[in-house]
Amino acid sequence: MARMKFVCDSERCIECNGCVTACKNEHEVPWGVSRRRVVTLNDGVPGERSVSVACMHCTDAPCMAVCPVDCFYQTDEGVVLHDKDLCIGCGYCFYACPFGAPQFPQGGAFGMRGKMDKCTFCAGGPEADNSAEEFKKYGRNRLAEGKLPLCAEMCSTKALLGGDGQVLSDIIRDRVIKRGKGADMVGWGTAYGKEGGKS
Amino acid sequence: MKSILNLALSLAAALLFGTAPAMSADAPAQPAAQVQAKGAHNQAQLWRDARSGEAGVTTVRGPEAGVLIQSGGETWRELRNGPITLYGGIALCVVAVAIGLFYLRRGMIRLSGPPTGRHIQRFNTLERMAHWSMAVSFVILAVTGLVLLFGKHVLLPVFGYTLFSWLAVIGKNLHNFIGPLFLLSIVVSFFIFVKDNFWKKEDAEWIAKAGGLLSGEHVPSWRFNFGEKFMFWFGVVFLGLTVGISGLIMDFPNFGQVRDTMQTVNIIHSVGALLFVCLMLGHIYIGTIGMEGAYDSMRYGHVDEAWAKEHHELWYNQEKLKPADASKTEPGAAAAHS
Repeated sequence: MARMKFVCDSERCIECNGCVTACKNEHEVPWGVSRRRVVTLNDGVPGERSVSVACMHCTDAPCMAVCPVDCFYQTDEGVVLHDKDLCIGCGYCFYACPFGAPQFPQGGAFGMRGKMDKCTFCAGGPEADNSAEEFKKYGRNRLAEGKLPLCAEMCSTKALLGGDGQVLSDIIRDRVIKRGKGADMVGWGTAYGKEGGKS
Repeated sequence: MKSILNLALSLAAALLFGTAPAMSADAPAQPAAQVQAKGAHNQAQLWRDARSGEAGVTTVRGPEAGVLIQSGGETWRELRNGPITLYGGIALCVVAVAIGLFYLRRGMIRLSGPPTGRHIQRFNTLERMAHWSMAVSFVILAVTGLVLLFGKHVLLPVFGYTLFSWLAVIGKNLHNFIGPLFLLSIVVSFFIFVKDNFWKKEDAEWIAKAGGLLSGEHVPSWRFNFGEKFMFWFGVVFLGLTVGISGLIMDFPNFGQVRDTMQTVNIIHSVGALLFVCLMLGHIYIGTIGMEGAYDSMRYGHVDEAWAKEHHELWYNQEKLKPADASKTEPGAAAAHS
């Protein structure tokens, strides 16, 4: 069974925000919510690097651990999903997540949070695969169609990769050998811990 | 320029010695560890930048959208899921059992003499309204708060996901809307009750004898004994404001609070609230089944003179010096002494 992961090759990311746009469009993400973002460090100075970041689908996911209603679940492929019917919009997953992945559309007066929304690794939610219900709540379920996440698929420089962690590691290793630098896999230690380091 | 120079140096070192320069300690072992030597400096730098929590540039709008990795959440998770849930839960159980055992041993503390049938006013309408606003909102907040912290472990296995989620939604919204009202009632109560809660020299005796709670001895006290004063200053004022203000910060997330603020405030809020609940279990016990006449004094506002003499002798003597009818009919008369 594949273990789904994201990796962003900061040597290649050109901060085009294609992944952000692809995601918003594919899933018809509500206004004010962005499941993915590109962050540029050292912008405009030597050492500038850009990294595209969304939910990393952590091995020991902090959001899952702190959710007071236990609305998260992890698929056999390691994708961290949640049930919006159970979510109470408390914001604890947002406190716990190191990547800032959980998003909350405003759900009422005084900044009341609506149901949490986050990257699903294009794997939908608990509803029947590719049902209208599922699409409305979580967006497209590309994994069920045998496709990989659209953000990575549409990345113009193939900086952002999504898929089996073992394959991603091999690709990055290959690139590092060829270019002789840039082995950083930002967030892997945080998201996948020892497992991330080994695989 | 410097980074290019460093890169060149590490490249040279790698070529010269044929070994990888030592990696930075905060960069975990990478899958491509064996081939990353040449880029080690570059990588370590990026890792440090990513882990620093400092904001980069991003087109996405929102507080901290530019931060790649925020590490505080892990600490928050460890504290909340660890000691706060564990020791908080133990503390609640210990207090509840201790109160139960105390009740089995002492039972309801009854008046030692027969009631006189003459009543004296102890709390006026305003005071009672303030108290019950606090009390009702506190109980709702305590129950809903406990559901959010312990419900997953206690109620979820019983009710199942759907029903528990409904409960939690109602709980969260009650908690968020009643919280500010509770804080308001705390502030109002402070001004109403503060004048009788200052230190009096007789309080020392009360402390020395632990209020006669175990011995059954009656220690003379003014309108409020030291136990009540402690409840006022530590419970209502300190914990009330701590929990109330920290709650407000989390209740209104639309002022750009960052995650570090929320994590810290949540820890303060939950520790304070658990202490508060433990304390109030004792208060509710002694105010209801723990002592005869205590509940009626806050429910109806007046107490039997025998009760007043027994539990608050100094206050009773003072009240008796006032015109006989004044203490019964005039609202606020009971609080009018200074």
